[in-house]
Amino acid sequence: MKRLLVLSLIVALSVFAMAFKVIMVTDVGGLGDKSFNDGTWEGIVRAAEEIGAEHKVIQSYEQADYIPNLTRAAQEADVVFAVGFMMTDALFKVAKQFPNVYFVGIDIVPPEGTSLPNVLCYIFKEEHAGFYAGYIAAAMTSTGKIGFVGGIPIPPVERFRYGYEAGAKIYSTLHKKKVDILRGYTNDFEDPKKGKDLTMAQYAQGADIVFLAAGACGNGGIEAAKEKMVALVGSDKLVDIIDYVVKNNKGFFAIGVDVDQDYMAPGVVLCSAMKGISMASYYGVKSAWDGTFEGGLKVLGVKEDGAGVSPMKYTKGMIPNRVIAELEYLTKLIKDGKLVIPDTEDALKAFQVPAISFPF
Amino acid sequence: MNQRVWSFLVPLLSVIVALIIASFVILMIGKNPITAYAALVRGALGSKMAIASTIVKTTPLILTGLAVGFGFRAGLFNIGAEGQMIMGAMAATAFAINVGWMPAVLAIPLTMLVGMLAGAGYASIAGFLKAKTGAHEVVTTIMLNWIADYFSSYVVTVPMGVGFGTPKSPEIASSAKLPPLMVVQATELTSGIIVAVLAAVFIKILLDKTSKGYELKAAGFNPYAAEYGGIKLAENIVLAMAISGALAGLAGTLEVMGVHHRFLGTLSGGKGFDGISIALIGQNNPIGIIFAALLMGALRNGSNEMQFVGVPKHIIMIVQAIIIFLVAADRIVRTIFLRKKVAK
Repeated sequence: MKRLLVLSLIVALSVFAMAFKVIMVTDVGGLGDKSFNDGTWEGIVRAAEEIGAEHKVIQSYEQADYIPNLTRAAQEADVVFAVGFMMTDALFKVAKQFPNVYFVGIDIVPPEGTSLPNVLCYIFKEEHAGFYAGYIAAAMTSTGKIGFVGGIPIPPVERFRYGYEAGAKIYSTLHKKKVDILRGYTNDFEDPKKGKDLTMAQYAQGADIVFLAAGACGNGGIEAAKEKMVALVGSDKLVDIIDYVVKNNKGFFAIGVDVDQDYMAPGVVLCSAMKGISMASYYGVKSAWDGTFEGGLKVLGVKEDGAGVSPMKYTKGMIPNRVIAELEYLTKLIKDGKLVIPDTEDALKAFQVPAISFPF
Repeated sequence: MNQRVWSFLVPLLSVIVALIIASFVILMIGKNPITAYAALVRGALGSKMAIASTIVKTTPLILTGLAVGFGFRAGLFNIGAEGQMIMGAMAATAFAINVGWMPAVLAIPLTMLVGMLAGAGYASIAGFLKAKTGAHEVVTTIMLNWIADYFSSYVVTVPMGVGFGTPKSPEIASSAKLPPLMVVQATELTSGIIVAVLAAVFIKILLDKTSKGYELKAAGFNPYAAEYGGIKLAENIVLAMAISGALAGLAGTLEVMGVHHRFLGTLSGGKGFDGISIALIGQNNPIGIIFAALLMGALRNGSNEMQFVGVPKHIIMIVQAIIIFLVAADRIVRTIFLRKKVAK
């Protein structure tokens, strides 16, 4: 009994001692996915360390956990992050109960007709990031077949695909190169095995570059690419891979997602289609701290630095300079609104590559 | 020692042993097990909200536990509770979306019936295949799980999918929603728990007090003797699978009617598989299964709170695994216990 008393006293004291607290509630995936959740967490940690706030992650086990976890987090924290599209409904149910706590939703759109002043939602123009992946893949494929491996076909994943297909189409139209796209879904964001199997299957069907928009499943896809590449090159050293690819003009590649995943298999991850997740979560924490928090929805694209491509630290040497230059030019067109990347299935079907002439 | 006492004592001792072993794991990751377990208890039972969440989690587990446990008693290893749960929930949702014009007295039982029939029908496929061709139900139900999984992904994204957000169906008619027993902030404690407990009692009576239950048990206990004694095996296999599937279907249906109010792509979330361990811990006894499910629900729910003191919730999976191991190998527990007794 005494111990319990002391314990609850410590808990009570520590609650009072904390000034500012940020809690991130994840979907079933949790930290360690090296993409979406880790990216959000990175931004939270960066902001929290700057302002000296306490920060914590709570992982959900199933959908029935969202509400209790968000509620518990709201009882304790000043800012609660709901990470992942699946938590949309739960976030708004809970946020309504805690008008004095700030909520930030990542990849979440307020359901129609709901708007709470204490909820700030960020979504991203994944199609912009997907566009880079598609353009580079189409430029680099030697088999004329590129693959797409998605997680669950939720809108953010699908937007990656729309952009990917559009990017490939733009390249193939501008350069008259025939490029076919294979599509598959793991129906899961957690199990790397599923990502690996599907990626292997697409390689077997003739693809040589696979874009992995599947959370932690993608890590398995990267592994698959690495296995195939190493078997082909006979070495896993970056220099050997670059030499081989440049000399023989072929290889097996993966394209990473959400954050810069190039480092996960240098030379094998061709590039990563990045979302500005960590930037969004960083500003989410900062705005709550300095009192500039405003509820609503923010959509971040190339123009807002909310979508882009990784710096391609390891692979830049394999990708022709011309492709890089073209991408620079196309980026400008997107920013100026002269090139619109489709963000729905219908827009993708109707998408026609505009007449683009490079000034070089 | 009395068999009845044993079947109660083994799971109980297993839980204690499992918690002790897991406390070493907690120590190993540099946390205090006492703080962790205090949080576990607080998270599971410490507040109104905690209790409500625990019961919400327990409800489907009772039913999937019953589904698997009932199958075991009839000599069938139904691994397909997951798929049957999905099919039940999906059918119930499709029905419940369209019953806005019906009064709740009618809509609620009918929706449950539809969900149970869908689960029963889906499980009967495996039952039928076993009865007719001898195809083992473990294999067929696992395959049927995948079909249900992918089929439901399709259904919630294409024909039944709505809106922006989680892949989900439209909300069911309010007349088909189960009335909540208690509402704490955004957490609702549904009356589904009553249905689940009644189902357990019903299964208990069916197994112990009816001649059909006797037939099913006999067929499970020794199919050859049962057949020799004039029990129709094929018929009993299909019936047992159907009842098992109906229970799993009801689990999914109650999740739709009481918790989510719509069908979601990942609604089942492995609860069908949890049914296997719950049946094991509950020693296939319907009443035991209620307690096993409650234990599992409490551990799961409490583990959320454990994260707030910095202990990963995966510890609970370790606890769960040890419990299952010990219950499955209850001879080990028995030996340890008897040795102690002798030493005294």
